[in-house]
Amino acid sequence: MTSPTSRIARVAARSQLTPDIHSLWLEEPYLARRVKPGQFVNVRCSAGPDPVLRRPISVADVRGTKLRLVYRVKGRGTAMLARFRNGDVIDLLGPLGRPAPPLANLDILVCGGGVGIAPLLFLARQLKGTNRVAAALGARSRQELILVDEFRKLGVRVGVATDDGSSGHHGPVTDLAGNSIGYRETERPPAVRRRPSAAFACGPKPMLAALVRKLHPVPVWGFIEERMGCGTGVCYCCALPKKGGGYVRFCEEGPVVLLNEVEL
Amino acid sequence: MSYHVRIGRTTFANPVLAASGTFEFGLKFPEVSRRLGGVVTKGITLEPRAGNPPPRIAEFPGGILNSVGLENSGVEVLTTSTLPKMQQLGTRIVVNVAGFRPREFGRLVEHLEEHKVDAYELNLSCPNVKEGGAGFGQDPRLVKRITADVRKQTKRTVVVKLTANFVDPAETAQAAEDAGADAVTVINTLYGLVLDESCRPFLGGRSGGVSGPALKPFALYCVDRVASRVKIPVIGCGGIASGRDALEFLACGARMVQVGTASLVNPRAALCIWLELKALLARRQR
Repeated sequence: MTSPTSRIARVAARSQLTPDIHSLWLEEPYLARRVKPGQFVNVRCSAGPDPVLRRPISVADVRGTKLRLVYRVKGRGTAMLARFRNGDVIDLLGPLGRPAPPLANLDILVCGGGVGIAPLLFLARQLKGTNRVAAALGARSRQELILVDEFRKLGVRVGVATDDGSSGHHGPVTDLAGNSIGYRETERPPAVRRRPSAAFACGPKPMLAALVRKLHPVPVWGFIEERMGCGTGVCYCCALPKKGGGYVRFCEEGPVVLLNEVEL
Repeated sequence: MSYHVRIGRTTFANPVLAASGTFEFGLKFPEVSRRLGGVVTKGITLEPRAGNPPPRIAEFPGGILNSVGLENSGVEVLTTSTLPKMQQLGTRIVVNVAGFRPREFGRLVEHLEEHKVDAYELNLSCPNVKEGGAGFGQDPRLVKRITADVRKQTKRTVVVKLTANFVDPAETAQAAEDAGADAVTVINTLYGLVLDESCRPFLGGRSGGVSGPALKPFALYCVDRVASRVKIPVIGCGGIASGRDALEFLACGARMVQVGTASLVNPRAALCIWLELKALLARRQR
């Protein structure tokens, strides 16, 4: 295995998906060729010492020599990232983390909340080749819902939920992950009516916890999005408590971890 | 031109080391480790330790705080599994040892004596543990006692990593020298506190250790102060992010430098710093 390296990527296209969620297509053939669903890159938001640390962002998609990052502007680092223009260069460290586990011949639900929908797109694209995939996508409102059309274009079944009912099911996205998977009753397709045999999720911790409870004992893998230091496994700063004691370093053992085995 | 540095019984190929806790064991980036003066391991304790609750890292303009709390698998795993792999790196191995009682340092070194290790760095300066750590490094008598105890166990190179938290590192460096230390590392992180949006401590361990570029002027001051007080070599550490930064530490009397936080941003940072420093030193020779 080669060590992750710092690569200089060029901004190929940028867009704003919601008032605070942005999308960047970056030209970087080396990473685009190597990165797998579930992995992330650590992004240098400024050339100087402020902010000191990179920002870890999961890869939302890959096409040819380009990779796509979808991120929410949360603090100073991501605000700086939002100011990059087409043609600007960005320092990326990657690919980091372990790829999501390869699964085959299963009914798989991908369930995303808010900006957490993003990494599931890349994953669903890979999973649908060998599995039956359904997507449950949620946000606070219709304006904040992202990437729904991209999921539909993949050809997977898509269910939508919003907290305010402005699009799809009125309520938490986890409601869609009931006995049928990831879509409203009226849309139920013949292929996948059972409970999913596995699920991937990304979103706020309460959402992840609710999904684990709801689908129990179905294994649920989650993308952990928490404070990180190096992203390469050397600093031991990203720690997620394991059930039964100890911690998981999710930059190294994740960022996709089996949620059934950790404390959320 | 040779850039070798001799400290105690150890000859380092160049004056740049990866600092403890910021490069793990050097195994993730062997092509970097191989070209450094050496790698200082993550702090090792007698028993495995889970470390502090998250969050363990915070940021402020110009620096970071960490509160890892010496998470490690213990000396047994180090000697049976990690050291054999480190020996393949072809770099000098400095094992950072951390005790919670003064006697534990000697016991750790005793464990390590039969294994191939180039030097020991006594961690008398960790700010993130309740017992030991910086608590020992703040008392010159304890620094002396622990260093003397370790000195009795080994003929190998002994480096004492000092704290500048509420203590004059020149005093503790003097104590380390008196007890037979071969060098001192100046400085470890400084105590710090950051608050979350609701003004409660952000880090899971409440406080943390400040590092990064913001630390450099104070670290440089400490190195200058310690180097003019003791005869043993000083290893400078604190906010080094470029060859120029490293040169400044050498100019203030450091014989070697350690690169820490910069490695979290770029895993090749320590190597880049060495190459930049080498170019700067070569230019000065001419």
